[in-house]
Amino acid sequence: MKDLKVDALVVGGGIAGMQAALDLGDQGFQVALVEREPSIGGKMITLSKVFPTLDCCSCITTPKMSAVAHHPNIKLLTYCEVESIQENEKGFAVATVQKPRYVDEATCTGCRLCEYACPITVPSSFDRGLGSYRAIRVPFSTAVPQIAVLDMDNCILCGKCEKACPVDAVVLSQQPEPFTIHATAIILATGFELNELGAKKEYGAAKLPNVIDPLMMERFLSPTGPYGRVLRPGDGMEPTTIAYVQCAGSRDKTLGIEYCSRVCCMYAIKQAMLISGALPMAEITIYYMDIRTFGKGYEQFYQNAKAMGVEFVRGKVASIHEDEKHNPIVKMELTEEGRIIERTHDLVVLSLGMIPAVSSSGFGLVPASDGFISVPAPNASPTVTERPGIFVTGTAGGPMDIVDSIVTAGSAASEASAYIRSKTMIAESQSEVAYA
Amino acid sequence: MSRVDPTFLHEIKEYGAVGIEQCFNCGNCTAICPLASDDYPFPRNVIRRIQIGQRDVLRTQLDPWLCYYCGECSATCPKGAEPGETMMAARRWMTARYDWTGLSHKLYTSTTWAIGALIVGALIVLGLAWLLHGPLVTDQVQLNTFAPVEMIHLGDLILAGILSFFLLSGLFRMFVFHFREGGKWKLPPLSVFVTEAWQLVYHTLTQQRFSKCEGRRRWISHLILVFGYGSMFVLIVLFLTWFQTDNIYPIYHPQRWVGYLAALAIIYGASDALLSRIQKKHEMHHYSQLSDWLFPILLILLAVSGLLISAFRYMGLPLATYYIYVAHLVVMMMLYICIGPMGKWAHLLYRPFAVYFQVVKEKAREQSNVTAGALSSAD
Repeated sequence: MKDLKVDALVVGGGIAGMQAALDLGDQGFQVALVEREPSIGGKMITLSKVFPTLDCCSCITTPKMSAVAHHPNIKLLTYCEVESIQENEKGFAVATVQKPRYVDEATCTGCRLCEYACPITVPSSFDRGLGSYRAIRVPFSTAVPQIAVLDMDNCILCGKCEKACPVDAVVLSQQPEPFTIHATAIILATGFELNELGAKKEYGAAKLPNVIDPLMMERFLSPTGPYGRVLRPGDGMEPTTIAYVQCAGSRDKTLGIEYCSRVCCMYAIKQAMLISGALPMAEITIYYMDIRTFGKGYEQFYQNAKAMGVEFVRGKVASIHEDEKHNPIVKMELTEEGRIIERTHDLVVLSLGMIPAVSSSGFGLVPASDGFISVPAPNASPTVTERPGIFVTGTAGGPMDIVDSIVTAGSAASEASAYIRSKTMIAESQSEVAYA
Repeated sequence: MSRVDPTFLHEIKEYGAVGIEQCFNCGNCTAICPLASDDYPFPRNVIRRIQIGQRDVLRTQLDPWLCYYCGECSATCPKGAEPGETMMAARRWMTARYDWTGLSHKLYTSTTWAIGALIVGALIVLGLAWLLHGPLVTDQVQLNTFAPVEMIHLGDLILAGILSFFLLSGLFRMFVFHFREGGKWKLPPLSVFVTEAWQLVYHTLTQQRFSKCEGRRRWISHLILVFGYGSMFVLIVLFLTWFQTDNIYPIYHPQRWVGYLAALAIIYGASDALLSRIQKKHEMHHYSQLSDWLFPILLILLAVSGLLISAFRYMGLPLATYYIYVAHLVVMMMLYICIGPMGKWAHLLYRPFAVYFQVVKEKAREQSNVTAGALSSAD
């Protein structure tokens, strides 16, 4: 792979990274977007609907994914990993590795014949293990780019895909290819991961089959989901009582995560509403310490959920165990009454918080105390990091929702644009001086 | 109408509570607690009383005594508010409320007072020993000549009398605080107190509630300590004339092994508590007040000095025996008078009684429910 010279490099192709790349590309800057997964779209493309408007997530994300892929000023580099960032007088030299897809990107047409021929079925990470896909596949139906990727960990090298491919795109001899991206500015949009399901041992340590994480519920509720309906994973039963345990992975000193993840109240309320639609007879309970609905239209959204019959119970769930039928039982104190209760539900969703997806020290940045990328002046310039020329957007800088991710993407693009222009002007004036 | 009193929080902090301000009343502690119930939803209800300054309400509660500091509340508290330590501080505060002299408050909240009391206690014993001791026979050990057993026994009884006076008056105040609300007695029927009296003995002897804590090791270790201590207490207060003698008994005689076993049990139980505090290996032992250190240390010193008296006596070392005997008395004085009825020692009495009161109330309610049920079915 050839080295690349661009004005700006965006690391991460989730909603924040895509928006930042588009905002810079539209201004005429040359942008490279690096994504470590085989497709862009990030977490947002796996979601069902967005709060508080209940718009379809795919309907917002897929046009942006296509726009990025087809933008004349954006070079999309998927399945690539940033190794290190070196600084020189011209800007940054970013060591990047193209991971082997074992499929030639240029010739693959995304016809999926390899996928149909592949005999190996593995749990789908896109569906958070609820569905399955083949060892060679196009990552998901709306993936961008529509290029197959072979998962070598699960491949048995039977060669069926090679035979099935009409354009001979399967190349089992591919090796990782290092290359360098020269960029004047960098925008980090590395996003978040959900805290682990088993992080809190009192909540069953991920051993209870009917205690799930909220991204699994998103897949149940998504129109592109694995079953097209809400089922509990333990036995495929349709749940009639569903509980949300708020602050299951945030605001908890015992987990070392004292911050509020900001999105959990709203996604729990949103999912509760969507479940009410999918399973009209289901009883939905949200156990909470505080409900934080601070955004535009959020409080009304919460009040609507209450009016729809979603039950809100104040108190932190202390522990979850299960009965012999694997029905989760939550134990908590009704803090408004001073009574201790144990309640059985068919399905429990742990409203897990956000943790950083990558360590910012890899980018030569000192992480903030919460582990996210630190921003020295959060009020004055919320997307400017301590390293000149490196900007941050979305949940890489701390928990935030989609609205804020898009807002900070615009902000980071603006900051980067100003930085690139000032750098080019200095370079031009210096060359004039040299010429004179 | 009652008013919020923020000073109470600071008062409890003097008794060793940490982080109560951190608590946002999520109820995790109460729900994770293996001992809490709907009637006694601690630790949160205790923390809440402290946060809003309801001294009068907390004073009446049994909740602090029903907690054995399993530590699960502190281990799982999302705010690190240390609810277990608040319960511990609440127990100290309750002890000081039961004590009408005001000394308990001083001893718990001032190191100067606590150390001063120990020194005064030691000086009293040393003075009495210097004034009252008999002739020092040096060619052989004659402990009963140096410290006549009758005199010591009398001293023991006086000490026990003082101890009982303060403890019983404390217990009486606990009883009044708990069963008298707003100037009115709310007493369960006397018959229930009598029929349930066995529960008091049962809980004192078994510490059965402690066993509900996760991991029974601490319960067993505590039980061993209680047994060792209890048997030693009975020996010394009631059977001193049999126990302190210059007769040399063979090793298999109960006069010897009962004492040794009890002393070893005390050393084992108290060392376990002490080591655990030093290593901070259990939630309960992360924070330690002076009284928490003194209690096991004095217990160990008491048992060790007791064993040494015996050892020196059998080795035929008269002066060493006499000196260690006086040291033994000094430790005893410190334990019983200085931290006894006004300090950590008093939980020996208050905790079983709290469990007893709780059981009595429950039984009385059951009975009245049965009566009410019978009446309504008769309708």
